[in-house]
Amino acid sequence: MSVPNSMRVGPFCASVLAKKKYMILYVFLIWITLLPSILEIWWYWQMLWNDIRPLHFYVFLPLFLFVIYVSTVFVAIFFTKILLVIISIFHKPREGVFLRDISDKDYRYWSLRNTLKKWPTWLAHKFPFPFLDNICFKVLGVKTKFSNSLFEGWVDTEFMEFGKNVVVGQGAIVQSSVIIGNFLIIRKTVIEENVRIGAHVIVMPGTHIGRNCILNTWSSTMVGQELEEGWIYNGGPAKKFKKNRFFEDIPIEKLTETIGDMDGLLKKYDEQREARGVTKKRLLHRKDKEEPTTEEKE
Amino acid sequence: MNEKIEEEQKDIEKKEDDDNEFVIDFTTSSAIHRVSLKFLVVYIPIFWFSGLAVATFWYGYTISPVPWIIKLLFLPLILLGFSFLFIFSCFFFSKLLLIFINLIHEPKEGIFRTDKRDNDFEFWKIRTEIKKITLWLIRNWPLPWIDVIAFRWFSIKMDFTSHLNDAWCDAEFISFGKHVTVGQGAVVMSSMVVGNYLIIKKIRFDDYALVGGQSTIAPGTHFGEDTVLGAVSTTTLNQELEDGWIYSGIPARKLKLNKYAEMRRDIIHKVDVDKEEKIETEHEVNIDDDKKHLIKRKHGGDNK
Repeated sequence: MSVPNSMRVGPFCASVLAKKKYMILYVFLIWITLLPSILEIWWYWQMLWNDIRPLHFYVFLPLFLFVIYVSTVFVAIFFTKILLVIISIFHKPREGVFLRDISDKDYRYWSLRNTLKKWPTWLAHKFPFPFLDNICFKVLGVKTKFSNSLFEGWVDTEFMEFGKNVVVGQGAIVQSSVIIGNFLIIRKTVIEENVRIGAHVIVMPGTHIGRNCILNTWSSTMVGQELEEGWIYNGGPAKKFKKNRFFEDIPIEKLTETIGDMDGLLKKYDEQREARGVTKKRLLHRKDKEEPTTEEKE
Repeated sequence: MNEKIEEEQKDIEKKEDDDNEFVIDFTTSSAIHRVSLKFLVVYIPIFWFSGLAVATFWYGYTISPVPWIIKLLFLPLILLGFSFLFIFSCFFFSKLLLIFINLIHEPKEGIFRTDKRDNDFEFWKIRTEIKKITLWLIRNWPLPWIDVIAFRWFSIKMDFTSHLNDAWCDAEFISFGKHVTVGQGAVVMSSMVVGNYLIIKKIRFDDYALVGGQSTIAPGTHFGEDTVLGAVSTTTLNQELEDGWIYSGIPARKLKLNKYAEMRRDIIHKVDVDKEEKIETEHEVNIDDDKKHLIKRKHGGDNK
């Protein structure tokens, strides 16, 4: 609902500025997008300004400012798209593992693309109507549908594919590129239809999430992880929690049950955690001070 | 190790436990999906009318017979005033619309289908969208405390002793006690989308409840008095957090009794951690006699 700053909500682009001269292009983009809006204001002034009776001018002014903002976003998307097309002639964006160094062409162009995309995505997201976000995503090369809600989380703007009815939760991070140490990894992330991504979930590049999946809060996936369709996943890295039957037509009375057995639930989570290599000793406050076993180190 | 995980995963796959299949023991998220253009019908009038209010005052400012130098001097103040006028008229018009919409369909708790034929779901989306405008305006404005006013406008029980530190918070079916603090980046949801179902349940915070940063609070959670939820933790649907306990983890479990300054406010419990050894010490707080009545005595009240 409300948009907190600390959650870095919205489609933002990774903010690595590989070369400072990209800023020139960025400023140029801002300059050229603001020109049409000035023209619009001039045209509006010419049309409706009347010294004796300025009533029309003032009545339609708020509506007109609304239109100007929306049109500015469209113009920004348009010019960014043109620049992106020109850039892709010089170097086609591709997946892979690249060196995080200015000498690497892929790294440079990845940074340039993201620098350019920042302006339209920022503009579109600074508008409370989420529709603009979806248009921005679509034009900048994310395969998505208008039924998706991607505006509450942080979503990368290239090498992404969404099905229908995807919900990205508050503060979730869905990436297709990640910097790890000295490497930049770009891999296509595919999220199929009816996936519900919980709050604060982190989806790493290359993840393939099948249909009808649900991700619990605070779970995270690994690079290139495959999530099978029709399951509820939990934890980091995401493991199967239980079968997802919430997409079936089930009587609503069945759903209203509360979790009566809290201890059982905690045990269920603990068992999963144990399977992941976190021993009970760790969970229970480390009473015995032993050296961690080799299993733990792994 | 990997074989063990695979075995575990296979075990879960085999399990056909009907009783647990429909229990919602996980937490997802709440976000409107199926964004449709018809919301613009709501947006445009709100922006237009609020803009008209500002435009009227702006017109009055331009034609007033005050010398231009004084006009210029007061311009920044007037622009600030106009921005607040805009926000507050957005409040006003969205509240009007909300009253109108609530007359058509009363908001209620429960579990609904995320279906176009389901009235509750459709109206939940509209309510959320309308509230989004004003809350968005506030959140993008450098005055964090006026979101309390907005929440009160949307008939949520809340006062200025509570504070949402930049947290994502639903604006219906929540009640705050006094001195509630919600941490940065926390997500407080009174509505949740699970599969094809929408769950709306009231969240209650009692006095002195404290939520850590980045935690997720599921619908129906009840925070007792002096309850603390640690950072990066999650509550499950309808979870009861008892009075005076510290909870943490995913899902939240009892960590220990909360005796740090919250329970007995005239004594501060301090824990010094030195070489993995904890030393608990109590410090008396010097409080003037005329302020003693502000101290809350609870849990036996053995602080004589």
